[in-house]
Amino acid sequence: MKKLFLCTCNKTLDKKLDFLRIEKELKDVFGSVQIHDALCLKEGLAFLESEVSNEDRVVIGACTSQIIGMPMSETMKTESVSFVPLREHVAWVHSDDLKGASNKAVVLLRDAAIRVDHLDPLTVVENHMEKAVLIVGGGICGLKVAADLLRLGIDVTILEPCPWDDASYVEAGRFMADKETLTKIVKELVSATASATTICCTITGLEGRSGKYGVSLACLDGKISTIECGSIVFATNVEQKPPPLAKKLLYGKSDRTILLGDLADLVEKQEPKDVKTVLVAVDPTHHISAVEGGYLLRVVTEAAEKGNTVIVAHSNIRTDDENIYRAARKSGVIFVRGTLEKIEDTKEGMVCRLENTLESQIREFVVDLLVLQTMTRPRGDTAVLAEIAGLSLDEDGFITTRYSKNKPVQTSKKGIYIAGNGKMPMSLGDAIASAGNAALEVFKDIRASTRRKGWIPIIDEEQCDVCEACIEACPNDALRLVDGKVTHITQHCEFCGICVSACPTRAIEFQSHSKESWFARLEALAENHKKMEGETPFIFVYACSECANASIDLAGFTGKGYPTGTYVIQFPCAGMVSPIEILKGLAVGAERIVVAHCPPGGCHHQTGDHMAELVVKFTKDMLRSIGQDPERVKATYMIAALPNKMQEEVAHRG
Amino acid sequence: MDKRDQLIHKLRNIAVKTPENEVEVPEKVEGFGTIEYSAQTCSACKKCILACEPAAMDMDPTMNLPDYLTATIPHDGFRSKNRESLVTLLQELKQEGDVVAISVPDGLPGYGSIAWAADQCIACSKCIEACLEDCLTLEKTYKLPEIIGEVKPPPSITVSKDWEPFILCFVCWECSHAAADLAGLMHLHYPTNIRTIRIPCLGAIEPMHIMTALENGVDGVLLTGCLLSECHYGGDSPKAGNFMQYDFVKFWMDVLEEIGMGGRIHIDSASAAMGIRFADIVKEFTEKIKNLGPSPIRGKLEVR
Repeated sequence: MKKLFLCTCNKTLDKKLDFLRIEKELKDVFGSVQIHDALCLKEGLAFLESEVSNEDRVVIGACTSQIIGMPMSETMKTESVSFVPLREHVAWVHSDDLKGASNKAVVLLRDAAIRVDHLDPLTVVENHMEKAVLIVGGGICGLKVAADLLRLGIDVTILEPCPWDDASYVEAGRFMADKETLTKIVKELVSATASATTICCTITGLEGRSGKYGVSLACLDGKISTIECGSIVFATNVEQKPPPLAKKLLYGKSDRTILLGDLADLVEKQEPKDVKTVLVAVDPTHHISAVEGGYLLRVVTEAAEKGNTVIVAHSNIRTDDENIYRAARKSGVIFVRGTLEKIEDTKEGMVCRLENTLESQIREFVVDLLVLQTMTRPRGDTAVLAEIAGLSLDEDGFITTRYSKNKPVQTSKKGIYIAGNGKMPMSLGDAIASAGNAALEVFKDIRASTRRKGWIPIIDEEQCDVCEACIEACPNDALRLVDGKVTHITQHCEFCGICVSACPTRAIEFQSHSKESWFARLEALAENHKKMEGETPFIFVYACSECANASIDLAGFTGKGYPTGTYVIQFPCAGMVSPIEILKGLAVGAERIVVAHCPPGGCHHQTGDHMAELVVKFTKDMLRSIGQDPERVKATYMIAALPNKMQEEVAHRG
Repeated sequence: MDKRDQLIHKLRNIAVKTPENEVEVPEKVEGFGTIEYSAQTCSACKKCILACEPAAMDMDPTMNLPDYLTATIPHDGFRSKNRESLVTLLQELKQEGDVVAISVPDGLPGYGSIAWAADQCIACSKCIEACLEDCLTLEKTYKLPEIIGEVKPPPSITVSKDWEPFILCFVCWECSHAAADLAGLMHLHYPTNIRTIRIPCLGAIEPMHIMTALENGVDGVLLTGCLLSECHYGGDSPKAGNFMQYDFVKFWMDVLEEIGMGGRIHIDSASAAMGIRFADIVKEFTEKIKNLGPSPIRGKLEVR
């Protein structure tokens, strides 16, 4: 039976809503309508438990489901429940309009009655995570991840193409920090990871999903094997490369032009008598990162301390620690703000013409060595690894992460993480922090509930054209092409529905949110509105269930009122809205449609806000082309911190 | 450059006039045609692009709204239900005014249309077979204006009084070659303007051969073979060499007409016993070419 429960919120809402009229109006769609004073309290929950059987379809008209959703769903025997936030979306925002508010409540409750008819049972997703982790790269970050995970009791395997020792760790990481700190950290990490399995192999293939990856390996002795693991952490290394200007500055042609790393080696072995004049040139065309700047400053400081005359020609050097710069100045390094105009290799030395941009003067130096600042770039095998794993690279060849702020160690593939320099050049502190972060994410995956419930996309193979639009749209790596068919990996799914909006054929439909249900609901909403309010215009707000919904709820809490005739329709994610739902809304007579999504770049499913903006832009173009007013549709962000956003967006009607 | 590119290149070379009309492709002629595309049912699945070997298909990031709004939805609807909804809704919301195609924003999967390149297509129908949505059909027309493009007329040539046409005659090595032999044995006189080239069967002549001849300034190309339904390679089968070539030559005659080289090819038949007929064919064709005057391509060649 279809049952409606209304809550007066401790007899506060009955002054804002005409409950008796609502009850009367809805008698024809619900088998029973009951009004309670406090559904959220113990006695209310007990009342629901006794009243609802597992075959009932239930609509709750009370406060926001963010408050009562969990306790009520746990109490009631049925899963077919639809919540209508009468308090936040109606009573508290239309407090001076008893009739209009009651009318709106009736329209929304009738909509909920249709919604429960289309509700599918929640799909249970189980994921048994393999409790083994493969760490690719046994450098400082790899060791840090391994040490953290071992401490948390997880099996780790460290994969390294060739055997390494402490000295090579320090050598590889010397651009990240000074030698003393590095040596100390490496020593600690090596002893902490003594119990880890270490293999010397290269990866040749990778398949599977988060929780169950199979990695094919080719070992140094020619053996081929596979290992199974739940998660993979890429802790790939970087190397120092000559800057774009290197050729022009005679690198490789003259013995006098060397790289920063060569200078560091030279200084280390230098005899006290054998002092040199050195000019270090910073390539102005290359954007120098803080860690590259720090490395440069440390090397020149060491060189100056050994008695060399060191001149640094630069336009801007970034460093994450101002003290390194101070130390460099103190050691006698001469900093000249300028660019190298011309160089000439002569017997006496390298003649460098330098334009001093501060003094607007040309200066000429004769130096023994011209040193080029280096670029920190991923090692060549990073690209190979990325291709095997299906990860994308940025323009400098670093592996891209999902979202630099919220998901800095997550890659586009679920269960594959990246620690340290594989993502960008990092100082020791950043790298260690990033490795710690990656270890924590892996641990969270393993410890997280292996049983989740939600609505998932259902693929109809008969209908599918395998156009791969859904695969392209899915932000979670939950759709893949397997044997020529689009396959859903439920373990990766975040239940957002973005895939559905991309499908041209309707071969993929989201549970409980089929196109048919949207059509039925939108038509009914318009029809009921006309029945209750006549010709008064109405607006649909397609709100994502995350930020936008929270913002609209908060508009209620803070009493930021807006006119009635504004119907908020919840989507799991704004990225699920396709032009079809928008056009349908307009076709049934909505005056305007607002698609509300999370703030830019802040989508809980990574791309929903962006997709919503694209879809709305595209729909507006369509409307313009067919002679409709494109301003009837708008995409905007709403965020809980801005409760008046809703008021601003729907303030005006007509 | 593959064969089709070479042929199109040659056609562009011998064109002396901008073609205005599309040319009808006779039924038996394969390899030439037009792919008609209806955007409204297309799901942008790229199956046709993957199937197309000569890369004549590509994605065009536009949504062809005019097609959407003029589409009629069949009784049982489109296969793509989401496209069907979109088309229905757009038609419902349509207001006064002209509709234009719009571009699909970068990064929005699932939309777009197919761009077809007439000069790349070999009308193999593989795209049509690959299409799941029935949005492609093969039309038996050849989009000559699109393929040839704008043509600059060549410099005109002065015809000297002693000009004699130069004609290539492809003869099949069964009947027609025997007919030419017989004409000789019978001491029949025919103009000296022709040079015969013996080929196995009339059906073995490729358009490339004809176009190469014309490209090099030959004034006329004559093709003679066995009598119809007496081809030594197929007899009276509709796929026999000479049967096929008649259709092809008809097609190429139309094409040449469009590009300003009309009347410069001719196909005829003479059996081994028809020496007199062979001599007559040569006489008639030579006379025709004499009236037409020298090939306008000579102007181009002279300049070179």
